[in-house]
Amino acid sequence: MLNEWIAKIFSRGNSRDVAKKRLQFAIIYDKLDVSEEILGALQQDMVAVITRYFVIDKESLKIDIRKDEDVSALVVNIPILKALRQRPNPAHSH
Amino acid sequence: MEGKIVVVTSGKGGVGKSTATANLGTALAMEGKRVAVVDMDIGLRNLDVILGLENRIVFTIVDAVKGKCKIKQAAIKDRRIENLYLIPASQSDNKDVLKPEEMVRFSKQLRSEFDVVLMDCPAGIERGFENAVAAADEAIVICTPEVSSVRDADRVIGLLFSRSITPRLVVNRIVPDMVARGDMLSHEDVLEVLSIELLGLVPMDEQVIISTNTGTPLVMQKGSKAGEAFKRIAMRMNGQPDIPIEVPGARKSFWKKLGLTLTRNR
Repeated sequence: MLNEWIAKIFSRGNSRDVAKKRLQFAIIYDKLDVSEEILGALQQDMVAVITRYFVIDKESLKIDIRKDEDVSALVVNIPILKALRQRPNPAHSH
Repeated sequence: MEGKIVVVTSGKGGVGKSTATANLGTALAMEGKRVAVVDMDIGLRNLDVILGLENRIVFTIVDAVKGKCKIKQAAIKDRRIENLYLIPASQSDNKDVLKPEEMVRFSKQLRSEFDVVLMDCPAGIERGFENAVAAADEAIVICTPEVSSVRDADRVIGLLFSRSITPRLVVNRIVPDMVARGDMLSHEDVLEVLSIELLGLVPMDEQVIISTNTGTPLVMQKGSKAGEAFKRIAMRMNGQPDIPIEVPGARKSFWKKLGLTLTRNR
């Protein structure tokens, strides 16, 4: 009872900081809410670039945005089947 | 000269958009501008009761946009304030009856009839929002110092920027004691998160409810804290951008506060 009372006194008046932190995080989180469409376009672009260097397994390719408490990351898993021998010249390839 | 269209928006409902629209519109009209306030919340009209004009509705925005009546017929003239007009929302339709293209066309007529047109945007970011911002030249975003309201304001600000409209911010319902005590986001906190231009700060004021009870906008009465704040915002909108933004409660000195407590306790 007394402990609760003391805790109340000491915890009083810091909800503003909590609010601000939660708000900042929520807004960052909201902006990471990327649509399927955009993720699909990103996947196509990446496949186009990577297939100039590697033969990849397009079927089991995975792309995702992972949101954690303190860090958010773009997680891409692209299984490589083999490397291409010749270094492609982007100026001549279509 | 062509008038300008200003949309008042927020994303979240219940943060004081209609109250702000009614008071800013009234204050601008009191300054001599020819003002129309337009209720874009079709299906849930409210601006009419805040302005005390609910008994005079004959035609609505839907009638005017669809050409069933002239703007002059739909715009209700306020009998207390010279140059203030309300174009009410229709109560029987839904938001899909209007299209953004129709609003753009209609707004051309509005610009030729009025100096300032304030569009009271409905909550949400769907069709009602699209219609209200379709023809806007400027935007005012209203938020309260609460997490949910600021988050929604951020979303709306993003949508406005994507339409090349640069919004300005009004932080409404600030409770100075709670900010001082560390239990409410300060306007600096809100600005840091939203990083847009500040247009004004409005304190929490019981008078807002009383004024809605009677249908008399606060800016028509003297001595209300929120009303005075709205008046200064209107002046800033009306060619006096240098009017200082007062921080609610900041002026009160220790002795004044003590005086207030003493009289309250007596």
